[in-house]
Amino acid sequence: MAARDRFGRNVRLAGARISGVVSAIPSQQVSNDHFVPQFGAEAVAEVVKMIGVQTRYWATAALTTADLCRRAAEVLLDRLRWNKADIGALVYVTQTPDHRLPATACILQDNLGLPTSCAAFDVNLGCSGYPYGLWIAMSLALSGACTRVLLLVGDTISKTVSSTDRSTALLFGDAGTATAVEVSGNDGFAQFVLGTDGAGARNLIIPNGGFRSSALSDPRLAGRDLAALFMDGSEIFNFTLRSVPGMVSQVLQEAAADPGAVDAYLFHQANLFMLNHLAKKLKIPKERFPTNIDRFGNTSSASIPLLLTSDLAGSIAKRRANLVLAGFGVGYSWAAAYLPVGPLECVETVVV
Amino acid sequence: MEAFYVGLAEILEIEASKVSSELNLTELAWDSLAVISTIALVDDQFSVMLDGKALAQCQRVADIEALIAKEKAR
Repeated sequence: MAARDRFGRNVRLAGARISGVVSAIPSQQVSNDHFVPQFGAEAVAEVVKMIGVQTRYWATAALTTADLCRRAAEVLLDRLRWNKADIGALVYVTQTPDHRLPATACILQDNLGLPTSCAAFDVNLGCSGYPYGLWIAMSLALSGACTRVLLLVGDTISKTVSSTDRSTALLFGDAGTATAVEVSGNDGFAQFVLGTDGAGARNLIIPNGGFRSSALSDPRLAGRDLAALFMDGSEIFNFTLRSVPGMVSQVLQEAAADPGAVDAYLFHQANLFMLNHLAKKLKIPKERFPTNIDRFGNTSSASIPLLLTSDLAGSIAKRRANLVLAGFGVGYSWAAAYLPVGPLECVETVVV
Repeated sequence: MEAFYVGLAEILEIEASKVSSELNLTELAWDSLAVISTIALVDDQFSVMLDGKALAQCQRVADIEALIAKEKAR
């Protein structure tokens, strides 16, 4: 019999909930035509057929992930009428911080006017960052450290790609999100699966910019800009097939949830071909498997909250939905959550 | 193998009748996109997962078939 934790650590948290979500996207829309001069129409069409991205939004040089998350947080706090003094922690999940130090969460605490009694820190995770961040935020709330937590999650990966790299140049879009997490008295629970396999670190990496010099002896990096994102697509696909179906089955099993009772499966928007293959493998019906990669591209850590505010806003604003969230990729790191969400007082997408 | 050849023909953008074990992949668009598509095709048809690196090194369709046979035997 397979071990219960074969696809990751199982955690159940009861007594905390999501109270609102806002996503912020930059106003600069980039269509596929933009890439034709660099790659040619035929190559663009071939890549687009695989990744499924029609348009994406890119932040200008002056706009950072923190700016997007800040705007999302301002709208969220305004709509929920949260007293800032009640926010005990700010968790900022990103791989595109403003500076190498200090933690951008500190700057956001000040910019948002949060009290100095607020705990604030950054978490360096990408594709798995949203379910991971929810686990952290809910854990903090349930620890008694605070009753309200602001979870800010986003990335501007477009700034990290080489414009001449066919496998990454077209794929990514930018977005920043804010999620309100608080202690609640209701009887629901959130079931998490959390996992890591750093053996895959080299397959999705920006080699330079940290403090380990580029001594990576990897022939795949020869002749490349080591400050730009490197992705080995087939390795990532292999990883995804190995991990994601098992992770999703495990979170449902641990929650004792019937797959038919799941209202929607929100997967990290990695690449449309991969998503369709995973949905088919898991026998998830199309109407319960929303995708927005066609409109926004792969927005890294922001893709799951962006699905909440773009495609699910209409339903979760009105009623409770049982959702499966699944994040997987860079690290390798992966996390899934099965939890009820809604009705939400605030769920919307804003343009910065 | 029938459905597998049809799928492979779609990926390689050639007629299905042209696909055989002897087909030379190196003369076709056997690139990273084709490799990823083939991983999915093989997973669908045979419920086994091929390694992308090994797949990229295949020179003929027979090499892919050998990888599938090896995985099925595991």
